[in-house]
Amino acid sequence: MSNSVLSVISRFLEEYLSSTPTKLKMCDAYLLYILLTGVMQFLYCLLVGTFPFNSFLSGFISCVGSFILAVCLRIQINPQNKSEFLGISPERAFADFLFAHTVLHLVVINFIG
Amino acid sequence: MAQPVFTSFLLIALAVSAKALTPTHHLSSTDVTRLQATLDQPFEDLQSAFYTIVGLNKLGTRVSDEKSACQFLRSNLDSSSIDSLFYASEASQALSDCEVPVSNETRDLLLATISEDSSVSQIYHAVSALTSLGLPLSSQEVVSALTARITKEDNVLAITLALHTASRLSQQADLRGILEEIEDLAARLDDLGGVYLQFEEGLEATALFVTAAYELSDHVGMEPPLKEDQVVQLVNSLFSKKTWGSLAEAYSVACAAAVLSNNRYHIPVIVRTQGPATVSHRDPTLELQVTNVLSQPLTSASVLLESARSVSSKSVVLKQASFSLKGETFELNFMDSQAASGYYDFSVTVRGDDRFVGNQVELKVKVSTEVGIANVDLSVVDKDQSIAPKTTRVEYPTKGKGTFTVDSHQNFALSFQLVDVNTGVELIPHQTFLRLHNQKTGQEVVFVAEPDSKNVYKFELDASERKSEFDSVSGTYALYLIVGDATLENPILWNVADVVLKFMDEEGPAIVQSKNIYVPKPEIQHLFREPEKKPPTVVSNTFTALVLAPLLLLLILWLKLGANISNFSFAPSTLLFHLGHAALLGLMYVYWTQLNMFQTLKYLAVLGSLTYLAGNRMLAQKAVKRTGRQ
Repeated sequence: MSNSVLSVISRFLEEYLSSTPTKLKMCDAYLLYILLTGVMQFLYCLLVGTFPFNSFLSGFISCVGSFILAVCLRIQINPQNKSEFLGISPERAFADFLFAHTVLHLVVINFIG
Repeated sequence: MAQPVFTSFLLIALAVSAKALTPTHHLSSTDVTRLQATLDQPFEDLQSAFYTIVGLNKLGTRVSDEKSACQFLRSNLDSSSIDSLFYASEASQALSDCEVPVSNETRDLLLATISEDSSVSQIYHAVSALTSLGLPLSSQEVVSALTARITKEDNVLAITLALHTASRLSQQADLRGILEEIEDLAARLDDLGGVYLQFEEGLEATALFVTAAYELSDHVGMEPPLKEDQVVQLVNSLFSKKTWGSLAEAYSVACAAAVLSNNRYHIPVIVRTQGPATVSHRDPTLELQVTNVLSQPLTSASVLLESARSVSSKSVVLKQASFSLKGETFELNFMDSQAASGYYDFSVTVRGDDRFVGNQVELKVKVSTEVGIANVDLSVVDKDQSIAPKTTRVEYPTKGKGTFTVDSHQNFALSFQLVDVNTGVELIPHQTFLRLHNQKTGQEVVFVAEPDSKNVYKFELDASERKSEFDSVSGTYALYLIVGDATLENPILWNVADVVLKFMDEEGPAIVQSKNIYVPKPEIQHLFREPEKKPPTVVSNTFTALVLAPLLLLLILWLKLGANISNFSFAPSTLLFHLGHAALLGLMYVYWTQLNMFQTLKYLAVLGSLTYLAGNRMLAQKAVKRTGRQ
């Protein structure tokens, strides 16, 4: 059982490393970074309690929001999905990403207190 | 169809109103003196002189100096004014031997006023002046003028003055029309709570109306259309006010009081007890004052006690006993009927004149007595009843000799009887208390003694059961018996004996200080909201590092993946874009530390549009490059 799981994972990693374009790998690295930051924040909250609750929320929401926006960006710039995003060029996707981030950061900074 | 309903309604209404109303207010002799003092003011003008002279006359007294009063009238008379003539002539009639000179012009002026064009007040003044001065006038003309005026002036005062005028006219004149106005006007009275009846215009209007109604009724010889209850209610309204704001008001009340004490039809009767309504063996007679509204005694009346009913047992103790007249009061010896102590409802009727109104009175009379204490037995009983109880008899008012010691396995018992000294009947007063007072500590505990079925009072004190009330303080307690009741003339506070109480597990003699609740209490310090507990700095710092650590990881990964920085073109739009983006991030930091939303939005608008434009340019160029490559 564990054998098959391990083999599936190693195969997946192999495929991933070989067939994914660099651009997407960079995006994935960014996603990993966001994920780890969010996990760290959550661990801290679990450990010491939710005092200043608004700060925790804004930090955590910032991570979650950034993750979502980055995922959207990744989907939109993936050349394999071109058929689904005919009107949206990768540059346009990036511009949307930046704009959404501006709004997100505005709200997060407002809430962080 | 509606007849049976109507009759049943009528019956119910009759049943409800069957209890006759009696006056609750009248003028006592002090009130009459006060009224006279209010009227007896030095003359300011003819009108005030009129009020004073005629008012005092109505109350049966006279002005102190009649000659100077007459002089005042004569000198202030203005022969061209109807009002002036009225006041002078009326006042001079009230004074003895005072004549007001009158000329032909005056008479003509007065006669000319009697027409439809003058107000009712003018007609009244003219007619009164003419009759006071003894000048002839035509009653029929007056009646027609009045009837015409009443339809135009429909207010209470005008119609009252018309009634006054009619009482001055000849009896042969046809006054029926005006007589009917009494009933119409009476219908306009406001009934307040079934006790008062008055005009909304006030006391003066009501008093003048009553005066006018009775004067006219006496003049014409017809009973005024006022029911007994209405008369009583009018009496209440007229005499409830004991100080009068103006001379005119005082005058009107004096007139009304005079007319109600002396007219041909209704004399309201006031029945009061002299002193408190209490009889006892020492003071066995009940004395009643029977007067009219001016507190003048009605000695010609006969006062009868219809029935005296005991409040507690509802049995009739005395019936049909008449009061005897002694001087100016009526008295009855109630103790002859051997009544027990308590409260009695007396139904008294005043007879002797058909004119009497409000002559059925209900009084509450108290019969009081003296109490005696008999058969007082003090005993100390052992709880398990192994030892026979020691009983000591104590006689009131001496104190029991020796002390009685009670400890935790003994009971202290007391029994006594309360009897009426005069009749020997056993009494159950309202208050029978036993008070134990510790002289040393000042404690006192009060118990209630209860009678048993044979009316013997018993009290038992179980020392161990009651120790909480005594705070377990052992010591000598003085035992007091307290007896009191409203019908007792001799309430009792008697130190029966001294009792020594011994309690087990004494908690130390707590000196009972009278709890002074008015000392300053401990000051309350305000507690500011304490800041929440923060985690230790080490933990926070560690986690700050941990949170920032993934950034390092990201940079390493990107380098490993081969981030392509070489394609960075130094076109102005690219530079501008990156600078603008950096500035935006800086703005976010500044927003966090200093600015508020509005300021931030301002800067954001500027920076954002710059960055947007630059970014647009840059991305467009990149797109072109990309499509070019493809």
